[in-house]
Amino acid sequence: MEVEGGETLDDKAKRMRDLLLSFYSPDPSSASSLPPNTSSRFATLDSINTASFDAEQYMNLLDLSYRDEKVKDRFIRLIHVVQKSNMEGLLHKHVEMAAEIKNLDTDLQMLVYENYNKFISATDTIKRMKSNIVGMETNMEQLLEKIMSVQSRSDGVNTSLFEKRKHIEKLHRTRNLLRKVQFIYDLPARLEKCIKSEAYADAVKFYTGAMPIFKAYGDSSFQDCKRQSEEAVAIIINNLEGKVFSDAESIQARAEAVMLLKQLDFPVESLKVKLFEKLEQFLVDLNLDSKELTNSSVDVNGSPDPGRVPDAAPATAHEASVREFAEAVRAYKVIFLDSEPQLSKLTQDFVRKHFEATHQQIEKQIHSADLVTILRVIWSDVLLLDEVLPEASLPDFALQSALVAVKDYISSAFSHFLLHISDAVMKVQGRQKEGIEEEYPLQAALEASQKAVLQGSMNVFLAHTLISNVWGQLILNTSEQEFRRLLDENSGLLLKLRDLTIDWVQEGFQDFFRKLDDYFRLLSGKSNVASQEVNLLERMPGDKIAAGLVLVLAQLSLFIEQSAIPRITEARNLLYFCGGEIASSFSGGGVRGSEYGPAFVPAEVCRIFRSSGEMFLHLYINMRTQKISVLLKKRFAAPNWVKHKEPREVHMFVDLLLQEFEEIRTEVKQILPQGILRKHRRTDSNGSAASSRSNPLRDDRLNRSNTQKARSQLLETHLAKLFKQKMEIFTKVEQTQESVITTIVKLSLKSLQEVVRLQTFNRSGFQQIQLDIHFLKFTLKRIAEDEAAVDFLLDEVIVSTAERCLDPVPLEPPILDRLVQTKLAKTSEQNMPS
Amino acid sequence: MQGGSTGIGYGLKYQARCISDVKADTDHTSFLAGTLSLKEENEVHLLRLSSGGTELICEGLFSHPNEIWDLASCPFDQRIFSTVFSSGETYGAAVWQIPELYGQLSSPQLESVASLDGHTCKIRCVLWWPTGRHDKLVSVDEQNLFLWSLDTSKKTAQVQSQESAGMLHYLTGGAWDPHDSNSISLTCDSSVQFWDLRTMKKTNSIEHAHVRNVDYDMKKRYTLVTAEDESGIHIWDLRNLKFPVADLPGHPHWTWTVKCNPVYEGLILSAGTDSAVNLWLASSLGRNDSASDSLAAPPTRRIEPLLNSYNDYEDSVYGLAWSSREPWIFASLSYDGRCGLWREQKMSDFGFLVHRQKICVVEGPRGGHFNQERRVISCLTLFIEQWKTLRHVSAINDLDVKA
Repeated sequence: MEVEGGETLDDKAKRMRDLLLSFYSPDPSSASSLPPNTSSRFATLDSINTASFDAEQYMNLLDLSYRDEKVKDRFIRLIHVVQKSNMEGLLHKHVEMAAEIKNLDTDLQMLVYENYNKFISATDTIKRMKSNIVGMETNMEQLLEKIMSVQSRSDGVNTSLFEKRKHIEKLHRTRNLLRKVQFIYDLPARLEKCIKSEAYADAVKFYTGAMPIFKAYGDSSFQDCKRQSEEAVAIIINNLEGKVFSDAESIQARAEAVMLLKQLDFPVESLKVKLFEKLEQFLVDLNLDSKELTNSSVDVNGSPDPGRVPDAAPATAHEASVREFAEAVRAYKVIFLDSEPQLSKLTQDFVRKHFEATHQQIEKQIHSADLVTILRVIWSDVLLLDEVLPEASLPDFALQSALVAVKDYISSAFSHFLLHISDAVMKVQGRQKEGIEEEYPLQAALEASQKAVLQGSMNVFLAHTLISNVWGQLILNTSEQEFRRLLDENSGLLLKLRDLTIDWVQEGFQDFFRKLDDYFRLLSGKSNVASQEVNLLERMPGDKIAAGLVLVLAQLSLFIEQSAIPRITEARNLLYFCGGEIASSFSGGGVRGSEYGPAFVPAEVCRIFRSSGEMFLHLYINMRTQKISVLLKKRFAAPNWVKHKEPREVHMFVDLLLQEFEEIRTEVKQILPQGILRKHRRTDSNGSAASSRSNPLRDDRLNRSNTQKARSQLLETHLAKLFKQKMEIFTKVEQTQESVITTIVKLSLKSLQEVVRLQTFNRSGFQQIQLDIHFLKFTLKRIAEDEAAVDFLLDEVIVSTAERCLDPVPLEPPILDRLVQTKLAKTSEQNMPS
Repeated sequence: MQGGSTGIGYGLKYQARCISDVKADTDHTSFLAGTLSLKEENEVHLLRLSSGGTELICEGLFSHPNEIWDLASCPFDQRIFSTVFSSGETYGAAVWQIPELYGQLSSPQLESVASLDGHTCKIRCVLWWPTGRHDKLVSVDEQNLFLWSLDTSKKTAQVQSQESAGMLHYLTGGAWDPHDSNSISLTCDSSVQFWDLRTMKKTNSIEHAHVRNVDYDMKKRYTLVTAEDESGIHIWDLRNLKFPVADLPGHPHWTWTVKCNPVYEGLILSAGTDSAVNLWLASSLGRNDSASDSLAAPPTRRIEPLLNSYNDYEDSVYGLAWSSREPWIFASLSYDGRCGLWREQKMSDFGFLVHRQKICVVEGPRGGHFNQERRVISCLTLFIEQWKTLRHVSAINDLDVKA
């Protein structure tokens, strides 16, 4: 617009300039070509482009010519245009403008013409309006008059009819009243009729209709009537009550009866309470039934007869009664509309009682199959009840209770398991205390406890399997629809059931083995304060633990490590593979968070038992060697070795020692397996001394009667000691008969050496020891396996004695030999008669 | 040689049982060792670690009249020590003073400070209060406990009090509490008894403990370490004597003696009749609360208490002593008279580790040709000694025959 405006302004300016040019010069084309020295008047405006341009003069001229600001402005613009464009441009512009002006002129003419037409038609219209308006006024006045007359007439009619209408209304009211009175007078008869036809609903309707009137006038005019109808209503109430309580009536009818009673303002609550009590009574009977059922199943369990036929009858009876109960509950629910919470509570109570009974059974250590049947029965009951009463969310509740029950069962199974084992183990202790002689008490105990371990674990697994199955069956038993609903509600719970069970069993195993280990340690007296939480038995004084028991424990630990755990692991893997649960139970360990790791770690349990097994074995060896040490200490503390008399026979303590070894051997033989026969042979040649030692009887050295030679024996021993390998006395103990016995013998001999080193001997003392050792050489060969080591240690004892002897003169070999032979003969004589 | 420890050997001429650290010698690391020879003249060796720390030098050799069964150095005077001796049926205990040496070695006579007479049965040991100057001395025999008041300048020792432990208790040894000069522990057949020296009465006891040797922890009060009769080492808290705080496996055969390190808490040395010395670290602090879950703890977290085992000994090791001057050095004495001095080079590290309750087991290649050679050499020495004895005996015999 502005640009357009600018253009139009330019155009106007151009036109102005054209005009000016036409005014000041005759030929516009010659105007620009005017010579500079023309008259000042001509030069005034055109002098802008000339060199002789005088601004002041020019402006004055402009002021004179164009007072008007606007024109001046336009003029300046024009000047600009003129300055900017050349001649041809200007001419071109001029032509354009001329054409434009022509166009504008034609446009103007057109507009004028059109407007004129419109004006003519408008004037015509106005003229017509003026003529029409003239008749309207009179018409309006007529209309007003008519309306006024209509109003006056209607008023007249109204006043004339008023009186009659009042009367009619009064009459109508009276008639209604009369009708009511008639109804009330008829009421007793009508009620009677209703009672006869058992149309209680109508009767109640009538009665309740008449109630307000009886309330208002019952004391005065309708006294009789009221009394009669009340009597009738009482009969009705009685009848209804009877109907409610009678089971024969249909539930609908009973519900209606209750509704009617409620309408009659009868105290329904008391009815409700009564019915509820009835239900409760029913429940008590039912519970008794369930107890009978479980009892009967326990009885079946108690008897070896596996047939479960007698179970069937009570089970069906139970089911029937539960069905009945369910029906009753359904009726109650229908009858009393808002009774769900109460009923929920009742049924939950029912389930709870059921589980209480189960718990008692669990405490009685029932068989897992029985638990499963009980759970199944409960579940079917619950399903029946759930059909009638979904609000109680019984399956949910029952599942949770069942979980608790199963958990209890598993833990109780484990504790019984532990008790079994401890019983088996404790038999050893008991027997030894009572002194009952049995041929192989230790072996029996070991076998019993091993059996207990295996059976216990297998029982737990059986239970586990059965329970897992139960979960499956429970889910199957649940109807499709129900199941879906359950799934929707608590899918997590149902799906977690198996995982939970698995976790419990695994945790149970882990815990069980830990407890077992603690218990073993407690038994062995090796535990300290911390593990005394295991209050299975009162702690026994450390001194009284039978060494045999420790040995049994050692072997039992080994057994658990080597065969029980692998079997359990195997069983577990098998179970989970079969159940297809392997993935869930191994990856992430079911519900238990993976950060805790899987609950049962066989490797860890194995490690624990391996270490305890070793510990027990060492403990056993310790206990035994300690006993022998005491024996040795007593032997060497008692006599005055410096004043010892000449040896006459092998000393008694050797017998005691051998007796001790024999006892150990019998114990060890019962418990430990036989090792591979493997004699510890010296690998390198030991020179004459060593080879002579290995068969000392036939050695010619014994024939030498010279004490000097005998003395050189000592030297030889030392020489031998110098050149032979360092004897490994303290080798690792294995759990075999030979290893244990040999270790004990070796340790005892080492102890003997140490005890000898603490004494000082005279010649006879030395000879006594020499004799004793010589005798031992023969006898120990039978007992200990590692002959070389034993020989070496025996020699060491003699050497040590010689070192501690003031006058080490050995006994002459023949004498030695003779004394030993006498002793041998004596012992064999003693053994023969026995 | 062991990876983290170096051993220096020294051979005593005869069999020996006892070695003691000379605590009062603050300039040198020295030990006193006494021999146990039935037939020869016994000796007391004063051993000193050379300044380079590479060898044990015999600084003094003194003859001693009888077999030495116990030897203890006075904790405040480096020249004074006590011995328990016996020969055959004679027995006795005495306090000796090493004569001024003045550079020469040839002054074999010990000066007797006091003779602890009055014992009626075999003397077990003489105890000095281990912590500092104390004018009392305790001697233990099989049945009695004697408290002596010793005056070293006047060279007198008088029985201050004496008490019998009872006929039934067959005393075997004891230890004096370094934290309490009035408290002493005595080992007997089947218990450890704690006595108060002021009242000379038994104050407490650990029953049913067959203990061979006891030692108090020098650093941690109320801590007692016992070597059980049949291997095992138990650590007790004296305030709760029902159960040991911790137990260590000990040795396969008897654990003869236990010694607590004088500086590093929980560092225990044990010597056994299985010809080995074991170095243990009993992290008793960590054990106190973790005893209950030690079973549950994974094997990696369980601390391996055995730090090192020195087992190139030929015979049972009876003598053991930490150096109080350089607590990473200890001396051991095996029955064949070989005295071994071990320097645990990583001991400073151990100290660090002990404080941090961490463990680093110093293990290195064991055995090897070197050990074998050394063993043969030591056997040969022993053999030669005995050869001499035998020749002596046979000479006498020859005389007998001639006669």
